Amino acid sequence: MHLIRFSIRQSLEGLGRNRVMTLAASVTMVLMLVLLASLVVVLAGMQAGLAFVEGKVEVRAELAGGAPANLVFGLQERLEALPEVAEVRYISREEALEEFRARRAEAGEEDLSAYAGYNPFPAQLSIRLRDPRQSSQVLSVLLEEGGLVERVVEQQKVIDRLVGVTALLRTVGVAILVLVGLTVLLIVVNSIRMAMMVREQEIEIMRLVGASDTYIRWPFIVEGVLIGLIGAGVTLLLLVVAYGPISQLANIVAGQVPVGFSEALVAQVAILVLGAGLLLGGVGAWISVRTYLRRA
Amino acid sequence: MTAADPRSAGPALPSAGWEIAGTDPVPTEEPAIAVRLDEVVKQYPNGKNALVDVDLVIPEGDFVFLVGPSGAGKSTLIKILVHDEVATSGYVEVAGRDLTRMSRRQVPRLRREIGIVFQDFRLLPRKTVRENIAFALEVTGTKGPRIRDTVERLLALVGLTDQADQLPGTLSGGEMQRTAIARAMVHDPRLVIADEPTGNLDPLISWEIIQLLLRINEMGTTVLMATHDAEVVTALRKRVVALEGGRIIRDEVGGYHRDYA
Repeated sequence: MHLIRFSIRQSLEGLGRNRVMTLAASVTMVLMLVLLASLVVVLAGMQAGLAFVEGKVEVRAELAGGAPANLVFGLQERLEALPEVAEVRYISREEALEEFRARRAEAGEEDLSAYAGYNPFPAQLSIRLRDPRQSSQVLSVLLEEGGLVERVVEQQKVIDRLVGVTALLRTVGVAILVLVGLTVLLIVVNSIRMAMMVREQEIEIMRLVGASDTYIRWPFIVEGVLIGLIGAGVTLLLLVVAYGPISQLANIVAGQVPVGFSEALVAQVAILVLGAGLLLGGVGAWISVRTYLRRA
Repeated sequence: MTAADPRSAGPALPSAGWEIAGTDPVPTEEPAIAVRLDEVVKQYPNGKNALVDVDLVIPEGDFVFLVGPSGAGKSTLIKILVHDEVATSGYVEVAGRDLTRMSRRQVPRLRREIGIVFQDFRLLPRKTVRENIAFALEVTGTKGPRIRDTVERLLALVGLTDQADQLPGTLSGGEMQRTAIARAMVHDPRLVIADEPTGNLDPLISWEIIQLLLRINEMGTTVLMATHDAEVVTALRKRVVALEGGRIIRDEVGGYHRDYA
């Protein structure tokens, strides 16, 4: 209890006395934490978008005109028997036309099919996969059907690209984050080292009068943790201010894809920012104090 | 020394035991040992021998001057006594503790048995006299009310009650040294080591400091004072230990100072 009070008082005094270094450490801490928060939010957004798109993705087999119903039905059954297929739906020519019209209307655009004078859409089989990345089996079944299937429309490439971008973003993001995290750690170490140098005389007297290492060490560790706390606090403040514009922007970019900032995500980001700040501050100070006390 | 002093008992002082073994088993008659050095050698990494075969016994309650020219090994000796340096070989015992087998964690306890005073005072310039003294208690985990009582008692002892709220910068040299002595006394040490405590003070003020150290000694605390002040050493006729080239060349009770000033 006494130690805690002593440490907090000493560390606050130290932060005040060493303002420039405190500021530098806190600002880089904020930079790093903002980066961390952005990365988490963007990745979460991409993940949500991906899940959404993956849920919608399907393989469409356009059937040849006048294909016998029993053969189509047989094909449908064979596809449904495949383990990776979630659902197979038969779409008649009329339904395909209706779907098209509905999509145009929803997008607020003209119904182009009126110009055709006839229904240009073939009957189709819509195949929803359990895992959109595993379509090869389905494709080979469809291709065997030569005469029955006219054309296979795949949205697979879109997914592949999205998956690729997400993975790349995660890798690059984590790499940058690690680098920035290391920088922050070094700056905290340096900042605490400076704080110890400022207090060299005090530390020497503490040793002289028989203060234990605990009493010498903890004020500086608390100082590091406080730098982390300041960094996390400022970061969270920035995020709160930026929350409105960012979610608006996300809505514009993502359109109807729900990149929702759920409450769970907000809480997660807050905890992550706070935890990362405190951890980096504490660990940085710990390293600094350890090396200093070893040497002395 | 009081007869009831519990420190004089116990297995920590085996040497004091055998001197009277069989003749008088009552431990209260033993002279307790504050400092014992047996064949202590200190060699620095650069090969220089700072101390060579130093034997020294200081019974509790003694007042001992440590004299010798610069580089004679006085500072090294003091550093070994407070475990700032470790002897290369030999046996070192301070306040009943074997320093040759002392772990890092035990050092703070040892330091609380020793009060240290320096020529340059080593006060914290941003803290008042009272805060400087209280700091030594605070950092060793003493509780608030006890800090206040102890600080007031020590302020009275060194005669600085009226200057208690001044910063060191506004004090005279003598007042600063008295503050440092008060700080050295916070844990009721068994041994006070003063390293040239009057080195920066004029003769009159020096005498004030000596008087204060003598009073502390009369209250039962062992005092070891390193000094160049020939006048003081000659006048007081206390035990004088002279070092030269890392060896004790003279150790006389009621000694004088010859040419080491």
